Amino acid sequence: MNRRSTSRLVALTAAAGLAVAALSGCATGSGGSEGSDGDVTLTWWHNATSGPMPAVWEEVAAEFEADHPGVTVEQTGYQNEELQRTLIPNALAAGDPPDLFQVWPGGELRDQVANEYLMPLDDVIPDTVSSVGATVNPWQVGGETYGIPFTFGIEGFWYNADLFEQAGIDETPTTLDELVDAAGKLREAGITPISVGAGDKWPAAHWWYQFALHSCAPEVLQAAETEFDFSDDCWVEAGEQLKEFLGTDPFQEGFLGTPAQTGAGSSAGLVANGQAAMELMGHWNAGVIGGLTADQQVPEFLGWFPFPGIPGAAGDPTAALGGGDGFGCSADAPPECAELLEYIMSEDVQKRFAASGSGIPTVPSAVSSLEDQNLAAVAEGLAASSFVQLWFDTALGTTVGNAMNEGIVNLFGDAGTPEDIVTKMQDAAATL
Amino acid sequence: MSATITAPAADAARTEPGPDPAGRRIDWGQPFVYLVALVIAAVAIGPVLYVFIGGFRTTADLNANPAGMPDPWTLQNWAAVLGSTRFWGNVLSSMILAFGTTAGVVVVGVMAAFVIARYTFRGREGLYLLFAAGLMFPLTVAALPLTLLLRTLGLHGTFLGVIIPSIAFALPTTIIILVPFLRAIPDELEEAAAIDGTTRIGFFWRILLPLSMPGLVTVGVLAFVGSWNGYLLPLLVISTGTLPQELWPLPLGVTQFSTQYSQDTGAVLAYTSLAMLPALASFLFAEKRIVGGLTGAVKG
Amino acid sequence: MTSVIESAGPAVSAGSAPAPKPRRSRPGTGRKWAEIVLFVGPALVLFLGFVILPVVLAGVYSFYNLPQAFQWDDLADPERFVGFENYIRALTDPAFQKSVGNNFLILVLSLLIQGPLAIGIALLLNRKLRGRGALRLLIFVPYVLAEVIAGLSWKLLLQPQGGVNAMLEAVGLGAWQQNWLADPNIALWTMFAILTWKYIGFAILLMLAGLQGVPEELAEAASIDGASWWQIQRHITIPLLGPTIRIWVFLSMIGALQLFDMVWVTTRGGPLNATSTMATYMVEKGQFGGQPGFGSAVAVILFFISLVVALVYQRFALRRDLAGAITRGVR
Repeated sequence: MNRRSTSRLVALTAAAGLAVAALSGCATGSGGSEGSDGDVTLTWWHNATSGPMPAVWEEVAAEFEADHPGVTVEQTGYQNEELQRTLIPNALAAGDPPDLFQVWPGGELRDQVANEYLMPLDDVIPDTVSSVGATVNPWQVGGETYGIPFTFGIEGFWYNADLFEQAGIDETPTTLDELVDAAGKLREAGITPISVGAGDKWPAAHWWYQFALHSCAPEVLQAAETEFDFSDDCWVEAGEQLKEFLGTDPFQEGFLGTPAQTGAGSSAGLVANGQAAMELMGHWNAGVIGGLTADQQVPEFLGWFPFPGIPGAAGDPTAALGGGDGFGCSADAPPECAELLEYIMSEDVQKRFAASGSGIPTVPSAVSSLEDQNLAAVAEGLAASSFVQLWFDTALGTTVGNAMNEGIVNLFGDAGTPEDIVTKMQDAAATL
Repeated sequence: MSATITAPAADAARTEPGPDPAGRRIDWGQPFVYLVALVIAAVAIGPVLYVFIGGFRTTADLNANPAGMPDPWTLQNWAAVLGSTRFWGNVLSSMILAFGTTAGVVVVGVMAAFVIARYTFRGREGLYLLFAAGLMFPLTVAALPLTLLLRTLGLHGTFLGVIIPSIAFALPTTIIILVPFLRAIPDELEEAAAIDGTTRIGFFWRILLPLSMPGLVTVGVLAFVGSWNGYLLPLLVISTGTLPQELWPLPLGVTQFSTQYSQDTGAVLAYTSLAMLPALASFLFAEKRIVGGLTGAVKG
Repeated sequence: MTSVIESAGPAVSAGSAPAPKPRRSRPGTGRKWAEIVLFVGPALVLFLGFVILPVVLAGVYSFYNLPQAFQWDDLADPERFVGFENYIRALTDPAFQKSVGNNFLILVLSLLIQGPLAIGIALLLNRKLRGRGALRLLIFVPYVLAEVIAGLSWKLLLQPQGGVNAMLEAVGLGAWQQNWLADPNIALWTMFAILTWKYIGFAILLMLAGLQGVPEELAEAASIDGASWWQIQRHITIPLLGPTIRIWVFLSMIGALQLFDMVWVTTRGGPLNATSTMATYMVEKGQFGGQPGFGSAVAVILFFISLVVALVYQRFALRRDLAGAITRGVR
C-alpha cells in the first residue's frame, strides 16, 4: 500500500516530466518555418495596426496564399515602437525571427547586417530592387540591398483648411515667420494652432530635426551620421530656434502627455476632430487621421504644406526630412519569403497601397494611383527636394536617437537647454 | 494571537476611564459610518462602472458628452465583442494559461512546502531561504535573459513558455504561505498515522493534503488571478510568437484592441469591461477563500 | 524576504520538530533523501532555471556594453566588457536619480496615506454593518482587475477630454479640471491616487484578516467596562494588529520599489520622467533604448535597493514578530 502510493507518485512525476518534454518538443518543431510535409508557413510582422492598412496586408497575404498552394502566411501588425525596439531585436538575437519583417534603415540596419541576420536581396529579386530606384539606398549596406521600402515620403504640415479660413489665414505659410504669424492668428480666433504628440517623444523631436536640417550644412549632417560629430554650432542653434518658437506657445495644452496616434485625444485625433489646426507629421498621417474620425474617412478639410523655409539659414533650403517603411527577409527564411516581398512590391499591390491613402508608394508607376490630393502634394514635395534627410533618430541609431529625443522633449517641457540636447547626444555616442 | 501580547493591551484598555455607558446607546457614529462606506464604495467602483456604462454608448455620444449617461443605450458594442472569435480566443488563451499555471503552482508548491515544513535535514533552512529570497526578484529584472532562455529551449511563442516561468515566479509566495499551513498540522496526527503503518508520503497524500485545502485554495486563487492578469510575460513570449492574435491572452488582447480601434472608444470600453468580467467572477466565487487563506497566513 | 527565513528557525524548533523528542523509526535515510529530492526537485529545478538563472545572467550582462541584438559571442568580446561603467552611468544620470526619488516618494506616501486609510476602512468593515459583505466585495474589485485593464481605463478617464474632467465640469467644479497625467507637476500625484485605488483593497484584505485574529471577548470586556468604540480600537485592536501592519508595510515597500505595470500602461514614465520608476527606466533603456547591458545594471541596482530596504526593515521592525505572524501561521 505504502509502496504503491510512492511508486504511483514517482510515475506521476515522471509522466509530468515526459509531458513537459513532449510539449516543449512540439514547440521546437513548430518554431521552424517548414513543416515535415513540405508545407511552408511564413510569419510576417508589420506595423499596420489601424486605418486601412491592416486590411490591405491581410488581403495581400490571402492572395499570396491562394497563388502559392501549401504556403500559409501568418501576418501580424504590432505597435510600431514595440515592434522596432523589443520584438524584432529579441527575435533576431534569439535566432528565432519572423521570416518577413519591417526593416528600418540607418543604425539598426547596419547592426543587423553585421550580425548576418538579413537576407541579401540583389540576386534573389533584382527586378524588385531596381523598381524603386534610388529610394532603396538607405536600405543598402556596402552596396548590398537588405530591405525594400514599400513607402517613402517627406514630412510636412497637415492642416485644417476650414480652421485656417476661420482665423483669416489665406495662404499656407512659406517662411517660419509666417508660420508663427498664422499660429498667432489661430490663437486669437480661439483655436489650438498646432498639436504635437510629445508623449511619444519622437513627434516633438521632429520639430528640432526640422530646425537642425535648416541650420546645418549638408556636410555637417553627413559628419554627424557617420562620425557622430555634433561639434558644429548649428546643433545648438537648432535648439535655440526651437526654444524661441516654443516661446510663442503654439501647441495644445498638456502636449507633454499627448500620444501621437491613438484615440481622439491624440495629436492626430485633435486634427481629425477639428480641435487643432495643424500637425507636423510624416506622409502616413492622412491614413492615421482618417482612422481617427467618426466615419473612418479622411476629412474634407485636410490640407498639406511643406515645412516653411528659414531665410538666411545655413542649411540646404531644398532639403526635406523624411523616411519610409521597408520589409526584409531574415537570413534563414525560405525562398517564398522573397517571393512574398516581390508580390508586396508588385505594381498592383503598390497601386492599391497608394489608393488606400496610407502613404506614398515607392514604385514610380504607382504614384499616379494616389487618389488623395494631399498625398499627391507630398509626392510632389518629395520629387522637388534636392535630398531627403532620414529622420535623425533612425539615421543615428537607437542609442543616440533615444538620447537626442529625450533631450528635445526636455526642452519642450522647459526642463533642459539647447546645449543639453547636444551633450546628451555626445554622451550617448561615447557609449557606443 | 499569543496571549502574552494580548494581556497588557487589554489591561490598558480596561483601566481607561470609560464614558457613560448609557451614552453609547445612541450611536451617532452609525449614519456617519454609512456615509463613509458609501463614499468608499463609490470611489472603488466608480471608474469600473464608467467603463461598463461607457460600453453601452456610441462613440459619438461619448465624444460629445464624456460624463453623461448613455443616450441612446446601444447593445451594439457588446454584441460586436461577444460575437467576435477574437474575444473568445483571448478568453480561451487566458483560461489555458491560468489553469495551467494554477495547477502547476499548487502541485509543485505543495510538494516542496511539505518537505520544508515536515522533514528535518541539512540544508532545509537554506532551501527555505532560497525560495523566500525569490520574492526579491521582480519579473522585470529577469525578463530579458528569460526570453532568450525560452527561445533556446524552444518554448518561445508557446503557452508553456508562459506557464513554466509563471509557476517559477509564483513559487516563493506559494511556499511561504503553505509552509506554515503544513507545519501547523499537529505532529500527533502524523505519529498516529505512523502507528497505523502509514509512510510519510501516505500521510502527505491522505491526511495532510485534505487538511491543508484552505491553504491550497488560497495559493491557487492567488496564482490564478496573477496569471490571468499577467502582462509582461505574455507580451514578451506570446505576442512575439507565431500564435495568431485570436489566441493571445486577454491583457494583450485588450491592449491590441485598444490600439487598433482607438478611435472607437465605445467598442474599446465594451471590450475592456468584458475582459474584466472573468476575473471579477472568479473573485466573487473565491472571495471567502482568499480572505480565509490570508487570515491563516497572517494572523499570529 | 530574508526576514521570514531567519525567523523560520525558532518557529520550527518550537513547532513541528522538537529535536530531543524521539521520532518513530523511519525507513533508511536513503529513502528519506529520495523523498526529499522527489518532492523538492521539481520546484527547485523550475526556480533555479527560470528565476535564479535569468537574474544571474542579468548580473553578468550588467558588466558589458551590449548591442541591441546581441548574441552569446558578445560576452566573449573583451572590448565589450566595461566593468562598472554601466553602474556609474546609471547612478550619475539625473533621470535615473529622479526615478529612484519617485520610487521612494511613492513608498513613503503609501505608508503614510494608504496604511492609515486601510486600517480605518478595515476597522469600519469589521463592525456590524448592513451590507458589509457587499461593501467588502466592492473595495476589492480594483485589486482583482488586471493592471493593464485598470491602467487603460484610467488613461481614458484622465484624458483632458475624459470622464474625470467631464464629471468635474458637470458638478460645477470645472476649475478643478487638470491635465491629470500630462502635467509633469501633478502626474506623480495622479499616479499615486491610481495606485492607492488599485492596491488599497489588498491592504484592507490583510488588515481584515488580521482583525479576525483579535479575540472579540477583549473588545466585549472593554466595552462592558465602558470603553468607547474608538478607545477599543485605539488601545486593543490596533496594537494587536501590529504584526499584520508590519507585514503590510514590508509588502508595500517592496511593491513600491518594484512598481512597473501600472506606470508603463498609463504614462510609460512620462511626462518628462515625472512618473518614471526604476523599473520603467530599466525597460525604457534596456528594452527600448537598445542597451541590454545598461538595462541589466539598472536591474541589479533595483534589486540591491530592494534588498537593503528589506534587510534594514527586518533588522529594526520585523524581527520580533515575524515568527508569530507568518511562519507560525494558522495556530
